[in-house]
Amino acid sequence: MKGNEAIAEAAIRAGCLHFFGYPITPQSEIPEYLSRRLPELGGCYVQSESEVATSHMIYGAAGVGTKVMTSSSSPGISLMAEGISYLAGAELPVVIVNIMRAGPGLGGILPAQSDYAQTTRGMAHGDFRLIALAPASVQEAVDLTILAFDLAEKYRTPVILAGDGVIGQMMEPVVLPEATVGPPLKADDWALTGCVGRKPRKVSSMFLDPDELNAHNFKLKARFAEIARNETRFEAYACDEPLDLLVTSFGISARICRSAVDAARSEGLKVGLFRPITISPFPMDALREIIGRSQRVLDVEMNTGQMLHDVEMAAQGRCPIDFFGRCGGLIPSAEGILEQIRASLAQLPKGGVP
Amino acid sequence: MEIARASNGTKRMNLPLPSTAQPPFWRPVHSLIIVVGNYGSGKTEVAVNLALQLAGQGLRVRLADLDVVNLYFRSREAQACLEAHQVEVVVPQGPMRYADAPVILPQVRGMIADPQVDCAIFDVGGNDVGATVLSSLHDVLAGTPAHVLQVINARRPFTSTVDECLQMMDSIEKSGRVRVTELVSNTHLLDDTDVSHVAEGVRLTAAVAQARALPLAFVTVPAALSTCADVLALPHPVMPLTRRLPTPWAPATPGGQ
Repeated sequence: MKGNEAIAEAAIRAGCLHFFGYPITPQSEIPEYLSRRLPELGGCYVQSESEVATSHMIYGAAGVGTKVMTSSSSPGISLMAEGISYLAGAELPVVIVNIMRAGPGLGGILPAQSDYAQTTRGMAHGDFRLIALAPASVQEAVDLTILAFDLAEKYRTPVILAGDGVIGQMMEPVVLPEATVGPPLKADDWALTGCVGRKPRKVSSMFLDPDELNAHNFKLKARFAEIARNETRFEAYACDEPLDLLVTSFGISARICRSAVDAARSEGLKVGLFRPITISPFPMDALREIIGRSQRVLDVEMNTGQMLHDVEMAAQGRCPIDFFGRCGGLIPSAEGILEQIRASLAQLPKGGVP
Repeated sequence: MEIARASNGTKRMNLPLPSTAQPPFWRPVHSLIIVVGNYGSGKTEVAVNLALQLAGQGLRVRLADLDVVNLYFRSREAQACLEAHQVEVVVPQGPMRYADAPVILPQVRGMIADPQVDCAIFDVGGNDVGATVLSSLHDVLAGTPAHVLQVINARRPFTSTVDECLQMMDSIEKSGRVRVTELVSNTHLLDDTDVSHVAEGVRLTAAVAQARALPLAFVTVPAALSTCADVLALPHPVMPLTRRLPTPWAPATPGGQ
């Protein structure tokens, strides 16, 4: 399946029968697929008039206890900013897929990873952080879509699936969960399901009392800290022994880095790869531990250096960090990364540890 | 042979070369070949491999990338490879190369009856949406005999049953204002393809062909599985297929290729 189709089908198998969205390259196969499949399954597909509207439609659907998803690509996600802030404030479990394309502005329609900072820090106004999952293959896109629904439900929070144009468009064989349609959302204790015979409930992000809003913000912060403790995921590839060079990368560029790391290791070079799967919360401690036994770091991204700041935070100045980036829709080649690996290694002082 | 040489995965080096006992490869009788099908059915890989195959037989081949719907994985990405094998490629130049705007170059119309070309191949975009390009060329296509090949991968969503394939055919024919004349069986799971997938695809495509009384033009088989045509005793022509649109994570070759 194509990555986009696989994400759409995985959402259904996770139990999502409601989708609101708007087409935009390179993610249009998600709404296209669901516009065909959801009505067949008795679900609901609505093409909204804009992404702003989408972000409020999913608010409404989640508010009444429905498993719901939307998808878009970079400029469309920016339009959703208002609604995403309200979703975060009202603690609503939704899944938002961002198949990133090159920016800023209208940019281009080729793949990029340039929304890392937006996704992990600044989805919208207000004081909140969201879970963001970054797949590196079509199979992982399936697995992480299903995980996204689980985490959204468990922690009552929007979850971002952060892919890029390559993940969305490439085809790979996938194994899907057997259940044709997964279970509905568990929201018995908070969703607006009609208050006959029980106390009325409220789903809102409005807190006029400053003490209440202060407490609400710190509650969200504590929840994110709990998520960081329980749900941080990463892949440390060939990182067991002390390394001359640690490559850090996420999503599709990490997949390409892996090919380069394999080639470097076949030349006898001591190179490993660290790939955060949850880019938010970032696996800071795990990376710090591996950097602690690495001579040097090479960060590779399809942007001008956004995850680089998290890598720098993990390194705490303890080792030099090089950066190799491509943007505008360009994809680094495994050969190009291998050259950068050699260039970084050439910077190491001869005779080992400085 | 080009196709066999291109199968350069080291773990497959010792596999036997394609058997000469197979039926002769499909030979077009019209100079215009139009490749249609659903998204991801493999139209582009089929068009590119077919172009290389026919060019390898000494025919003058020109391929037009008519995919104006989806800018990922289009035949323009194989342009260097095609040109290295004397296949001419008609594709927008400059920034429009990277657009999904409905740009149909004047050369597309021109190549339909160009005496300098033995085989003109149109690689059309996916589904009925992609096929609308053909209706814009209806005035010339209507009077031009052509092979209209529908590519079928039984492992793709929405084309895994005879009915779904026929629906796809009907919608493409309607929006493209063309009739599908032949079918191509292209069932695969990329590197996970085995003989059973090829057989499954042939069964489905043959059933679709029978439902519309159309011929099955040829069956693609991954080059690494080239002996499976013998194993399956396929009565159809076989085209060994080597993927020409590389993935970005293709292994890095120390020291370059």
